[in-house]
Amino acid sequence: MPAAMPTPDAHSQLTLEVRRVASELQSALDHFRVDSKLIDLAQRQVPDARHRLAHVIRLTDDAAHRTIDLVEQCGPLADRTVQEAGELLAQRATGPGTALAPQVSAFLVRTGKNMQSVRANLAEVLLAQGYQDLTGQIIRGVMTLVDELEHALGELLRIAGAEPEPRPGSATADGWRGHGPMIPGVDHGPAVSDQQDVDALLSNLGM
Amino acid sequence: MQPNMNFLVVDDFSTMRRIIKNLLHDLGYPNVTEADDGNTALPLLKAGNFDFLITDWNMPGMPGLELLKQVRADARLAKMPVLMLTAEAKREQIVEAAQAGVSGYVIKPFTAVTLKEKIDKILAARAAA
Repeated sequence: MPAAMPTPDAHSQLTLEVRRVASELQSALDHFRVDSKLIDLAQRQVPDARHRLAHVIRLTDDAAHRTIDLVEQCGPLADRTVQEAGELLAQRATGPGTALAPQVSAFLVRTGKNMQSVRANLAEVLLAQGYQDLTGQIIRGVMTLVDELEHALGELLRIAGAEPEPRPGSATADGWRGHGPMIPGVDHGPAVSDQQDVDALLSNLGM
Repeated sequence: MQPNMNFLVVDDFSTMRRIIKNLLHDLGYPNVTEADDGNTALPLLKAGNFDFLITDWNMPGMPGLELLKQVRADARLAKMPVLMLTAEAKREQIVEAAQAGVSGYVIKPFTAVTLKEKIDKILAARAAA
């Protein structure tokens, strides 16, 4: 069965509607082209977000490794203290002329027990560093999303024909709120790298 | 307990590998080798003389489940104890790992006691087999 032909009146209404939609679409695209906030989001803020997240993983990784280094150094010290306290107590029990004052004996017994508690706590400190793995996995998941967002925004801008804008310098409008810790790969303008740099800078300023 | 057992610990996070290595040391297993995903672990397993595999699941490259399947598919490695130590906690994942032949499954975060229990249980089951 052939499709019903629109009446001249309906055809006219359809044409008007198509023109209206086309006009709205053109207006939306024009607006899209000049939306510098979106361009900044795609070209600066989203890539910066990925750098920030990667930096969080690095910072927590360094902190966890440093903690594990210290646990590995302290563990054998505690073990040796327990062992030596035990040996001294054993000598007192068996060796002639090696009697220890009661207070010293009590101290050695206490030392052995306390060091065993320290050893157990060190094991807990070690296990607690597992947070770095768990948070790192979550952050990596978010980084994947950020990658996809960056790609999608880039495509949108490409379709809209947006021109790249130069990255702003250090004097950004929101600088008054502070930028948080320095993040490699995220440019906030010249920065100091450590306390010596801070001291030198203040010294140059006469402080 | 067999202190001369050789462990391979596979995890993409070096902090977690160090944690597991230290715990195994405390449990009396000093021989621990590390790998950061299935792709680096599998050649080590095929070339080395390992007695026990502890692996994460979610890793770039070859994930733990694929490593488990490859181990079970290799005639020489097929009977190796494999403990999955992972944050993947969905029921269907645990079922999938079990169907692939995992020997034990520990969810992160975990305790030293849990790790010891699972290793002891796996070794006891093997000794009884």
